[in-house]
Amino acid sequence: MTASRSIRSLTQDSSFPSFLMLVVLVIVNAILQPGFFSFQVFRMDFMTFTPLILVSLGQATLLLVGAVDLSLGAGISLVTCVMASLMQNNPMSIVLITLLGIAVALVLSLFNGFFIATVGPPPLIMTFATSVVWYGISLVLMPSPGGHIPEAFYGIYGRTLGGFLPVPVLVLIIALAFCLLLGRLRAFRHLYAVGGSERAAQASGINLVRTRIFAFLVSGIFVAMAALCVVGQTATGDARSGQGFTLNSVAAAIIGGIAFSGGKGNFVGAIIGGIILGLLINIIYFANITSFYQVFTKGVIILVALLIGAVPRLRRELSQR
Amino acid sequence: MTVLEARHIKKSFVGVRALSDANFLLHEGEICGLVGANGSGKTTFARIVSGLLTPDSGELLLRGEKVNFRSRLDAELSRMAMVHQNLSLVPEMTIWENIALGREQTVATGFLDNRRARAQAEKVIESLGISLSVHSRVSSISPDEKQLVEIAKALAKDPRILLLDEPTASLDFHQVEALFTTIRALKNRGVAIVFISHRMWEVARICDRLVAFRNGETVGGLDFSVQPRDESLIVPLITGQAAKARVRKNREEREAQISAHAAWGPVLQMQGVSLSDGSLKDISFNLRKGEVLGLGGLQGQGQEEILMILAGYRRGHTGRILVDGKPLALRHTRAAIGRGIALIPGDRQKEGLFLEHTVLANLLYPKVSMHNGSFFLPLRNYRALAASAIDAVSLVPAEPKLVVNHLSGGNQQKVVVGKWLSLAPAVLLLNDPTKGVDVATRENIYAIISRLTREGTSVILYASDNEELIDNCDRVLIVFEGKIVKEMTGAEITEEKIVVSSLNVTHAEEGGHAS
Repeated sequence: MTASRSIRSLTQDSSFPSFLMLVVLVIVNAILQPGFFSFQVFRMDFMTFTPLILVSLGQATLLLVGAVDLSLGAGISLVTCVMASLMQNNPMSIVLITLLGIAVALVLSLFNGFFIATVGPPPLIMTFATSVVWYGISLVLMPSPGGHIPEAFYGIYGRTLGGFLPVPVLVLIIALAFCLLLGRLRAFRHLYAVGGSERAAQASGINLVRTRIFAFLVSGIFVAMAALCVVGQTATGDARSGQGFTLNSVAAAIIGGIAFSGGKGNFVGAIIGGIILGLLINIIYFANITSFYQVFTKGVIILVALLIGAVPRLRRELSQR
Repeated sequence: MTVLEARHIKKSFVGVRALSDANFLLHEGEICGLVGANGSGKTTFARIVSGLLTPDSGELLLRGEKVNFRSRLDAELSRMAMVHQNLSLVPEMTIWENIALGREQTVATGFLDNRRARAQAEKVIESLGISLSVHSRVSSISPDEKQLVEIAKALAKDPRILLLDEPTASLDFHQVEALFTTIRALKNRGVAIVFISHRMWEVARICDRLVAFRNGETVGGLDFSVQPRDESLIVPLITGQAAKARVRKNREEREAQISAHAAWGPVLQMQGVSLSDGSLKDISFNLRKGEVLGLGGLQGQGQEEILMILAGYRRGHTGRILVDGKPLALRHTRAAIGRGIALIPGDRQKEGLFLEHTVLANLLYPKVSMHNGSFFLPLRNYRALAASAIDAVSLVPAEPKLVVNHLSGGNQQKVVVGKWLSLAPAVLLLNDPTKGVDVATRENIYAIISRLTREGTSVILYASDNEELIDNCDRVLIVFEGKIVKEMTGAEITEEKIVVSSLNVTHAEEGGHAS
């Protein structure tokens, strides 16, 4: 009985369609990309996948509480600019500036969270506005891409520990452990409740303000991890380096079965969604599509992926008619 | 011992005064009814007591100690539970998660103690006699089950004060009996209970005492230990008028009316209609012109499915439906509306109204959606129609520009009825139209319906309250497990007959409960 329930709950899980999609994409990718299963390709792939997966986790947290953050990408850019303009070639500086980068990411997220939770502007509008502010600050700090990141910092990101564990994968494992820990916290349960039904949550004595700020804090932690990875990957400060993450992370979370209306979905879905988007970019690159059509093709595939992700919901709604 | 005392509580929402002078006393181990018309402030009062709202002025004493509204003590709130009328359940969470919501317990490491929460939920669900898995999602269970889970959630807090805000509105009499047993057991353990309901017979039966609110003010009460348990004593408290004789239908007048219309033949025929999921089996009946046909029985036996099929919401049935002798293919709600079939839903907030839009807009949507012809809408014409609809349902205030959300519940329901009048429907489907509506509005709505039937409209009425069927129907069909098990007409329609055939006593399982 427990086994049958767990199998049924697996197929009914909100991330199940995206999991099937992932399997298909891995097969397609393996056919197109030479040496897809080799360790080198695996390592290189995860260097690019990891930041997007982390941002998707951050975005997913906010979608679950019924919010959204359009300033995540601009926030990452700002962190890269701060770090690249301040970091120097000594261990002390590297440690301090890394901590500063993390702090900046958290402060940006909490700023959004605090305003949205207490004053109550719609998250979409609030974070759109702050994204422009973050971008503006980045441009002031670093009008053109550059700055300096010591090799001692960015070298870590490309390293492989013990000959089998690439650092980006280690980062993901840490993130996953963090997700598991979150899932067992009271505040996280409340986050689902607030996203699922604000009224019901309030009537159950849940503090809405505190829960929303908690969601933004968690999102900030994921984004801080993502920002460090981006710095490690690009080794520069760039006011535009984070741009692509914002809407890709929303798409990834939703492909992974997280409801835009909140309260539904899980972190596994966000991770799968992030990998799916990463694989898509790979596939388009290796499928020899003329560069003019690459963006178009990517857009169409994302659209299809979003529709497939919506299948369980549509099926349920149709069956209720 | 007095556990709760409220003195001169006042509360206003943006421009609307909800409570002007609420006074209340509650003793240990007693069930106190709280009655009043819609908008009299009962729910607002309950929400203030349970700490969800802060009053503008007044004081609240718990066991003689004054409550500080700015910072309510957790210890004090944790001994208080409220069963919410609009349910405090999160649909996407499981039953056990909902029952533990807001007071989750953790183990020493700070992680959630899910095992204990599940065990607790199972225990309280079982004690209420509900056969549900605590692992089901709330979104997948029926409205009456949701209501029971909501009650379970409040009981799981093991409260000393329990506030029940219309807990019986979506329950059938069977479930109400079970709830009463539970409430009495709590009372015997010293729990103080506030019972809010629009069903007078329930209040008269279960309560030791009652307090009545009118327009946000405490206007009086009854103590059943010295006064008789008589519903007719309660109604004048609520309405502020002397008791009126119940508006029973004049049978002879009705009979004459039906026989006059009988020559016209049936307006609507259902022939062998079934649904593939088994919720309806071989439903056949005729509806005559000007007739009020009631659907009765326990909740969720298929009555709503019948209405949903006729309104074009629920598709994929087998069998035939004829309107005026011509078959009707219901592929869309528009097809039903086009043939003169209009549904008045029970959940006015969800299905019947656009709450943020004006009365005028709400009244006109059906007309606009059926508009054919000129590119521009004949707005002047429509305004006149809306004005006559407002007049017909005697909306208070009669102001088409008002946003519907600002109207009281009863007046909102009048708008739901009024919006179909402009289409002059041949068949009105009423899905529990007076759920959560006060006595005066209820009589008003049935008066409107009665007038429509005199003008030739036919009505199919589903009501969870048997009295409404008895008072208003010419004929009642009792539905049990998707089948029509009994048909009764005219004087045959009595409370006893309805109850007996609803339980379908020949059925082995239900037989035990009925005895």
